[in-house]
Amino acid sequence: MSATSAASRVPVEERLFSLVLALLATDTGLTKNEILSTVQGYRQRFSTSGDNANLERQFERDKDDIRDLGVPLETLESPGQVGNNQSLRYRIPRGDYELPADIAFSPEETTLLNLAAMVWREGSLSGESRRAILKLRSLGVTTDDPVLGYAPRLRVRDAAFDPLNTALEKNVIVRFNYLKPGEQEARLRTVAPIALIQHQGRWLLHAEDQDAGGTRNFLLRRIVTPVTTTNTKYPAFDQSATKAALDELEAIWDERTTTVEVEPGSDASTRLEKRKGTVRHDETSLTLHYSDFDLFADELAGYGPEVLVISPPEMRAAVRSRLARTAADHG
Amino acid sequence: MAEKRQPLQAQDKLTFLLSLVPFLMDHDRISVSEVADHFGMSPEQIRDAVRLIGVSGIPGETAQYQHEDLFDISWDDLEENDQIVLTHRVAIDDSPRFSAREAAALIAGLQYLSALPEHADRAAIATLMAKLSRGASAAPSQLMVEATETDDTLALIRDSVDAGVQLEFDYLNSRGEHERRRVDPLRIESLDADWYLRAWCHLREAVRTFRLDRISHPRVTTEPITHGADDVKLPDTLFEGSADDLIVTIDVAAAAAPLLADYIPDGAITVEHDGRLRTSVRVSHYHGLKRLISGMPGVAVVLDPPDARKVVADWAAAGFARYT
Repeated sequence: MSATSAASRVPVEERLFSLVLALLATDTGLTKNEILSTVQGYRQRFSTSGDNANLERQFERDKDDIRDLGVPLETLESPGQVGNNQSLRYRIPRGDYELPADIAFSPEETTLLNLAAMVWREGSLSGESRRAILKLRSLGVTTDDPVLGYAPRLRVRDAAFDPLNTALEKNVIVRFNYLKPGEQEARLRTVAPIALIQHQGRWLLHAEDQDAGGTRNFLLRRIVTPVTTTNTKYPAFDQSATKAALDELEAIWDERTTTVEVEPGSDASTRLEKRKGTVRHDETSLTLHYSDFDLFADELAGYGPEVLVISPPEMRAAVRSRLARTAADHG
Repeated sequence: MAEKRQPLQAQDKLTFLLSLVPFLMDHDRISVSEVADHFGMSPEQIRDAVRLIGVSGIPGETAQYQHEDLFDISWDDLEENDQIVLTHRVAIDDSPRFSAREAAALIAGLQYLSALPEHADRAAIATLMAKLSRGASAAPSQLMVEATETDDTLALIRDSVDAGVQLEFDYLNSRGEHERRRVDPLRIESLDADWYLRAWCHLREAVRTFRLDRISHPRVTTEPITHGADDVKLPDTLFEGSADDLIVTIDVAAAAAPLLADYIPDGAITVEHDGRLRTSVRVSHYHGLKRLISGMPGVAVVLDPPDARKVVADWAAAGFARYT
């Protein structure tokens, strides 16, 4: 622990670990100056006389990284010195940091959580899951997990997912260009995210539209520009808003139907029959449910001659023109 | 947890250190290999972490990191016996809470799993979700996965995995041909609302991916499997490439390109112009291609080779003809 060791020799995780330990051990909190001058990883680079601006910026980034992990790093104002930045004190209150003592997981629950973590095979959620599992293992519950060869996995391919998930956690307004189904031009939307919902295999953002007012659902795959995160905060929505949104999606699915004729024994016949809510009238006639008119028209067009849309006339026309377009594009 | 052992990022390393300390506190003496197995890490990663813990601590009253302000371990036990004995601890008493996002990821994972027949105990899952929420440092962000409806095929696959026996079913391939297949199931995956079975196919003598909605008349056999999940390396992409694959040049709207990511081979040359990409996709035959491209009207167009264009054009034209 030589104080003369070069700053570069203290690895990032050692600095972060030392910072968490120091802030957990203090009841009254440490000032920024105390942290920078005494905590391992900072003190080696601290100058008692000079400018510590770089080190202060490092501390700001470290605070964000630690809070990102769910560590409740608190800022306290010193009594009598309200508004004085230099006298702010930092600490991690033990009660908010530690897993409540009455929370325990059985071996069966631990196995299920391991499986739940493996659901996310890519994207930011795989990192979140990995860290959650480390914390779970910390509790020491051993499981006789099967090889988990049968581990169902879910993929998230929408680029908008990560920034929206972060905005959701931080309760900040976001902006993006959205190509509404059936429209030709994308339009800028400014929204307060309420929930990310996967419904019938598609990710949707349920959000409050700041311009139009009211809540809307946005299909992630129709967000055509990178999501811009603003600094404007909004009050968190009640959890019941998410349930209401899902109920509404279910209602839309139940309500929208189209009737088609399928080629017997074809791919269309086999697969469309397995959609949620499909009613088979006879060997060739099916009534199908959907939520997004244009996306479903695309899907039906993919079946080519295996599907003939009977009703409604709008869906019939939409699929017909899509097939004409594809034929023309490849003619 | 013998899966992949990846190098950890700083945030992961910190989480690991904060998780490892309470675990070691609960074990007076434990071998490096046991800890490695428990956390799914390499013995070297465990030794590195323990060495770091052994020299870490708090500045203390003197702000000098005195001996009593530091963790201590039995160094001889570590270096000579590969055993971990924590002899002094500071600052940490218990395991950390989950972050809001970590809890949200696990909760959404549980929602997804609840679609599976063997996790049909909704009450147990609800209890577990409530525990995760309570064990998080802030309210979990609102992430919700609708439990996709699945058919009985999933339950049969599970039965065949449990019993270690082969599964047999009728499969309608994308050429439109029905074949009786016999497979050793390896993994279930889903992409959007579609479920896939990845399995060793005894007919093809290779790993194949089957769409669950193209499987009919499944039956669990009594024949033991010859290829288990441990014996076969599954590629990360859902669709296995083969030397017979056809390479097709397409033009696709840039925003829609991620939808084709599974078909674009590694090292494909991609050129961007006016918000569209020219790239190549790999398909095993044109029957799959015609369905894929016809499902993305105006968004993706096949440029080359000419016979691929013709297959797509004929497919769409045949569909259109049904309306005239």
